[in-house]
Amino acid sequence: MFEQGEVALRAAGLGYLLSFMVAIAAVITVRTYRQVRGNSKSVDRLVLSVFRVGALALLVFCLLRPVLIISSVVPQENFLGVLIDTSKSMQISDTDGVARSEFVSQQFGDPESGLRAALADRFALRFFSFSGDTSRVSAVDELLFDGTQTHLGGAIRSAHEELSDLPLSGLVVVSDGADNASEGLGESLLPLQASGVPIFTVGLGGEKFEQDIQLSRVDLPRRVLKGTSLSVELVVTHQGYRGEIATVQIEDEGRIVGTQDIELPADGVPETVRMRFTAAEEGPRLFSFRVIPKIGEMVVENNLRQALILVEDRRKKILYFEGEPRWEVKFLLRGVEDDTNLQTTLLQRTAENKFFRVNVDGPDELPGGFPTTRADLFKYSGLILGSIEANYFTPDQLRMISDFVNHRGGGLLMLGSHRSFSEGGYAGTPVADVLPVELDPNESDVEDSFFSEVRVEPTRAGETHPATQIAESEQDSTQRWSALPPVTVVNPIRDVKPGATVLLTSEPDDLVVLAFQRYGAGKSLAFPVQDSWMWQMHADMPVDDLTHETFWRKLLRWVVDGVPDQVVINLPQDRVEPGQAFTVLADVGDANFEELNNSSVVAVVTDPAGNIIERNMEWTAEKDGEYRATIPSGEEGFYEIRVEASIDGELLGEDLSYVQVSPSDSEFYDSTMRTALLDRIASATGGLSYTADSSQSLAEDIQYVGAGVTVVEEQDLWDMPAVFFLLLTLVLLEWGYRRFRGLA
Amino acid sequence: MRRVAVGPSVLVILVLLVTGFVVVRPSAQDQGADLRALLETRTESRKVSDGPSEFYFTRGVYTSGWRWGSWRIDFPKADRQFMLAVNSLIDISAAEEENAVRLDDPRIRQFPFLYVLEVGDMALSAKEAKGLRDYLLAGGFLVIDDFWGSWEWANFERQIRRVLPDHRIVDIPLNHPIFNAVYRIDELLQVPAIGNHYRGRTWEQDGYRPHARGIFDKQGRLMVVINWNTDLGDAWEWFERPEYPLEFSSFAVQMGVNFIVYAMSH
Repeated sequence: MFEQGEVALRAAGLGYLLSFMVAIAAVITVRTYRQVRGNSKSVDRLVLSVFRVGALALLVFCLLRPVLIISSVVPQENFLGVLIDTSKSMQISDTDGVARSEFVSQQFGDPESGLRAALADRFALRFFSFSGDTSRVSAVDELLFDGTQTHLGGAIRSAHEELSDLPLSGLVVVSDGADNASEGLGESLLPLQASGVPIFTVGLGGEKFEQDIQLSRVDLPRRVLKGTSLSVELVVTHQGYRGEIATVQIEDEGRIVGTQDIELPADGVPETVRMRFTAAEEGPRLFSFRVIPKIGEMVVENNLRQALILVEDRRKKILYFEGEPRWEVKFLLRGVEDDTNLQTTLLQRTAENKFFRVNVDGPDELPGGFPTTRADLFKYSGLILGSIEANYFTPDQLRMISDFVNHRGGGLLMLGSHRSFSEGGYAGTPVADVLPVELDPNESDVEDSFFSEVRVEPTRAGETHPATQIAESEQDSTQRWSALPPVTVVNPIRDVKPGATVLLTSEPDDLVVLAFQRYGAGKSLAFPVQDSWMWQMHADMPVDDLTHETFWRKLLRWVVDGVPDQVVINLPQDRVEPGQAFTVLADVGDANFEELNNSSVVAVVTDPAGNIIERNMEWTAEKDGEYRATIPSGEEGFYEIRVEASIDGELLGEDLSYVQVSPSDSEFYDSTMRTALLDRIASATGGLSYTADSSQSLAEDIQYVGAGVTVVEEQDLWDMPAVFFLLLTLVLLEWGYRRFRGLA
Repeated sequence: MRRVAVGPSVLVILVLLVTGFVVVRPSAQDQGADLRALLETRTESRKVSDGPSEFYFTRGVYTSGWRWGSWRIDFPKADRQFMLAVNSLIDISAAEEENAVRLDDPRIRQFPFLYVLEVGDMALSAKEAKGLRDYLLAGGFLVIDDFWGSWEWANFERQIRRVLPDHRIVDIPLNHPIFNAVYRIDELLQVPAIGNHYRGRTWEQDGYRPHARGIFDKQGRLMVVINWNTDLGDAWEWFERPEYPLEFSSFAVQMGVNFIVYAMSH
């Protein structure tokens, strides 16, 4: 009350006069004590002066008639919105084994008792329940705490909008504050701040769990080729299990595909776990990442994360252009020929303007050598340039190669040889712009040709990158690299572009052996080694060793990973609640991957029951080539989305994706009470924050803090019992000190 | 799959060689060198020079049966002359010098193309058999040449069964890609040794018909090409001789070029 009120003085003329006279008496008292010494010491006179002057000052204060001016709401003239969180996190029993929702039942379930009664004495109550949505409720005792999301901002906004026409004293939010909406709260609070409506928050639950393990969000690509080895980083945090061993498992729809034990660090310290697994089965696969629950965990639902990955059993085409017969060709092709998801087409130059082709789809593919049109080149997802000099290509072909990466989104890999990189005359060309390494235009001097035999070792990035994992574990992979036979380099490269990442280096010389960078819509790689086939044929390599094959398979899969087609489905959300509509976006381009805004695009959606929904997709007008449709959802399960695009009756392409319709699992993550958030909501709107234990003063505090219909009151302070007791204390202290010191 | 088989004229190159436009060094034999001494120096694996070439025409050194030094028939002239032709015909970084390596030398795997001839007299040691087996299974490519008739075939088959007991020997059809890698081969010619040519025939012993047979690995890849009842090596060795028919020389060089290009891309 004192915090909200303002102190003022209401003395009349007589009061001021009397106060003046008392002040004069205080001055006389001080002078007297200074002059009349008797058997007292100076400290005695000082102490007695303080007591006497203090009493006189308090008397002056009372004579000035101080009052506390406070605004209070008029009882029963105002409304109060009570927002009750009904999400699943309210079921957590972290308050002496009692569920958070129990507070709601006790305080608001019975109209005649608890906080509800106290508030109802002063306000007209309007109850709302909220989780993902907000709705008015009347029977608080029948609330079910089963909401799968918590949207605090939306709830506040909805309640305020509904009550904005009424004299509103404020909103009371009863929640653990575990908001998991994607949007921030700031905008939702603005209307309340503008209209001066305070929010009072009652936080439920504990700020920390005694014992709990939580798994962080998992980031994985949404689609991969069948058989791809994926690397995932999982972050495990915990309370109460320091030093204990926890087991992390990866499941592919019930089948365990990865297991790792970790030692949990200190409480609250995140532990990063890197694991690898293979996407072996085709189709929409729901991978589960789980920390096996330990005894005593408060919440076990947050030990599990899931990721939906579309595993595609399709062939991605790579064009491998070689300028001369080389052993690297033979062993590279052999290394990937068993990979049914890669088709590496070789265009081999044997003599000037003479070629032969391997793995072509028909006689019409590459009949005249390297493609001369973008449409022909952009049919491939990856491009490998071997020992082929830059001046073989026309200027337009060099630009095409650059556009292949930049615009089409393809993957480019340049191999080492005396006709590659600077030695091949690529410095200063559009291809040099794309490459992740710096090329020196002065390096093409044949007389200063470079040659070095080196061993290869991974950098820190290379130790964990999926393209350079040549063994089951990171440690084994690093050891394997160090055991491989030496290879030779004729392209000394030491500098990379600012945005590039080096995965492999050489020992000695510290040369770049493998580097990559994202460029435009695609990626480019540099591998300036001319004879990696030594990892297959060197005398030190066992005949049945598969390191060489593993390296090339993983590298080429990564080259084409994420390379788009002419029609690509993009899903803003790959998981929605049952009954919630979802948005399908599609990017459409022609054979040159130029965006088309006038294409005919259709989305065909098949629900889990086999029912088909067709929707024409409209150009969004926000981005060239982007089309949108909104699809309703119903029952839980996987919804198959097939998008077909055509123009003038000619099919441009199609794409396939999936959406998972299922209840959200976000309620149990970071589900401790968010004190900071609740405090922020209250302070931003001029309200107050409470816990369950301190909420008893809520009703009275709102009376003086709230908005709506209010009345200004003045309350005298001079007749407060505290004033009387203070005055009496001062007088008694003076008397007692005299007695103690034996003074008159 | 389809191959484009277009290339510069082998005949033109060979004519240039025949007319002496391109100088060919005489062989050690012509120089009357001590063969045994030469053999001793040549049984060591050839040291790779600085800045190695991409391709080495590697001749396999093996233990002979009743005839000493069978491996070195036509050596090194045939090797050198053939490589001259190869370097002239296709764009390849190929060493012009000969390169003889023992079959039991672990470093043989650094040379994924291997040429072995006169296998009718081959008597592999256990180490040589293992060395050759490892070489082939790791990815090496073997060309067999210059052995004639049923008796020599029997010996070869016995030897190769010790190397690859679980692989079959089959005829390579003419529509196989190896016969179209650079040059289109429509017919197998019987290339005679120069001595047989002087005698007015192309055959030897009871080897009247030429065959191109092969051994494929478990993935169906050709890893051994067996030229039986023909002598490509002699054609390489003597193509500068005016009396040796260019028809055979051209064919032998075409076959050899195809072998190399196919081996380096499959």
